[in-house]
Amino acid sequence: MKNKQFVISVMSKDRPGIIADITSVIFDLGGDLADLNQSVLGGYFTMILIAEFDSQVTVEALLSGFAEIISGTALEAMIKEIESDLELEKQGSLPSETFVVTAQGRNRKGLVKVLGDFFYERNINVLDLVTTSNDTLYTMIFQVDLSHIMSMGDLREELALLGREEDLELVLQHNDIYMATNEVGMTLDTIIGD
Amino acid sequence: MLRSDQIMATVEMVQKENLDVRTVTMGINLLDCRGGDVHQTCQRVEEKIARYAKDFVSKCEEVAVKYGIPVINKRISVTPAALVGAGFGVEDFILLAQSLDNAAENVGVDILGGFTAHVEKGMTESDRAFIASIPKALAVTKRLCASINVGSSHKGINMDAVAMIGHTIKELANQTSDMGGFGAAKFVVFCNQPGDNPFMAGAIHGVEEGDVVLNVGVSGPGVIARSLERTINKRGRENFKLDDIAEEIKQITFRVTRCGELIGRQVSKELGVEFGVVDLSLAPTPKIGDSVGEILQILGVDDVGAPGTTAIVALLNDAVKKGGIFASKAVGGLSGAFVPVMEDAVLAEAVAKGALTIEKLEALTCVCSVGLDMVPIPGDVDAATISAIIADEMAIGMVNNKTTAARLIPVPGKKAGEIVSFGGLFGTSPIMKVRNMNKSSRFIAWGGRIPAPIHSFKN
Repeated sequence: MKNKQFVISVMSKDRPGIIADITSVIFDLGGDLADLNQSVLGGYFTMILIAEFDSQVTVEALLSGFAEIISGTALEAMIKEIESDLELEKQGSLPSETFVVTAQGRNRKGLVKVLGDFFYERNINVLDLVTTSNDTLYTMIFQVDLSHIMSMGDLREELALLGREEDLELVLQHNDIYMATNEVGMTLDTIIGD
Repeated sequence: MLRSDQIMATVEMVQKENLDVRTVTMGINLLDCRGGDVHQTCQRVEEKIARYAKDFVSKCEEVAVKYGIPVINKRISVTPAALVGAGFGVEDFILLAQSLDNAAENVGVDILGGFTAHVEKGMTESDRAFIASIPKALAVTKRLCASINVGSSHKGINMDAVAMIGHTIKELANQTSDMGGFGAAKFVVFCNQPGDNPFMAGAIHGVEEGDVVLNVGVSGPGVIARSLERTINKRGRENFKLDDIAEEIKQITFRVTRCGELIGRQVSKELGVEFGVVDLSLAPTPKIGDSVGEILQILGVDDVGAPGTTAIVALLNDAVKKGGIFASKAVGGLSGAFVPVMEDAVLAEAVAKGALTIEKLEALTCVCSVGLDMVPIPGDVDAATISAIIADEMAIGMVNNKTTAARLIPVPGKKAGEIVSFGGLFGTSPIMKVRNMNKSSRFIAWGGRIPAPIHSFKN
């Protein structure tokens, strides 16, 4: 029978050994790790991964494997079997019209929502988002796909208006500029797609 | 993955420090434009420039909008006109000059460079006719820039040409006296002129180049000045030594150069034209906050020209090169800090205060590019003195294997200390005092050549 692919999402209070624990469960069930992404925020660890198993391995078997991890901190896992083929080869390459919107303003409730709504209303897909904050200033960095935007001029004007309304400093810049200025190992030919 | 500190550093540079691309210059070979007579040659020249450059300005603007980084100047350089028109007489060269001017206007370019001859070793009859045509050629055209290479490290200095050029510059200023001698601001005298410099007035498309090429001059000094101020304020002055400052300049230049080259390569790609080089020069404009002089003040001299200025320029020039050379795949052109007096408000101010003199500028040119640039002098300075100032500047380039140049503007009817203004990017300055006038005519009268210097025994 055909092998199975699972998407596994795990969250835990951060501590040494989480990756060892998770990968042991996968290895013990004969799994092959395809790709993973992890992040730590505010002392909490989260990981999303894709792994392939023999056809007889079940979601329940995996969940019980994770449940057996002995630790002082609880580890929560969500698992979903993937029915269709994944587009793994496309990961890492960005659409050619990838832009970065940076937004800075006084820290208050609802700032991410302001931008989230703005992009949603224009059917703009957010590829990545990071935020940082200090006592007063909140910084959001949205990486967005603007491939289907017909008029960049209009979008810039709408962003400028939003910035005035919400008292946010908004800057829209092509992703290539950030690649060129920060990625020492990436040639310009690669960035502009020669 | 997004790194917020890196992203915000770039945002600061692009938005708050006004990063721009100073110039994108398309170099076009005109050697194949020679026709049976001058009119046919002129027609072919105009046709070829139109063919290659018809979409040049619009593509630059398109790419600038896409990346949100302005391209300030879009210009064209061509094969030295003395070669294109070899055998022409004075009037023929003036017709060629008008054709080049028309060609620039037709494709929407404000300046075209390459009305040029290379005479560092000897002059043909045609070269002499070319030089004789320069004053009128620049007086009757708007967009044309001229240059002449009178010296090189390999061939020495052609002092016959240097002697002629003193008169040419005076004549050029006189023919444009209604504009304060502005014609002389469009004419540069070089030693070791590069064939891939994108900056005017000395840009040419060298004979060693391909048919068409795109060269880029990266951003101005404002970005470095603002960035230095910000970093010094943030970390505290007491935590900085000069090597830290050099390191900071390298880092900024790296980013600036990568941005400039990105834009240049994108324009190249869209036009289907080969990308040439990035010129790392710091090119100021008269705009407040876009000054090389201001960087020198930030680095510690109260007035440009005070003792220490030469050492600071050496540090700045070297750090810019080190950051830029690592950033770019191909560096060329002049690649050094410019100190054009009229085009840099802080330098002009130092002249007004008496802090900056021609002699100090000459010293600066030993450690940076490009020479006595945009230096207004009194209209009554004699031709031999002008030639002798040029000879001194050429000697620095010849001996030190570097490009040096002189763009001296004798302002008709005005004396030292009076103000001359050309407006726009050409700027404003008090006229500089020329010491020791009328004392060099015996030297200039010799003519002949200053032999090339020895290239070993470097002590």
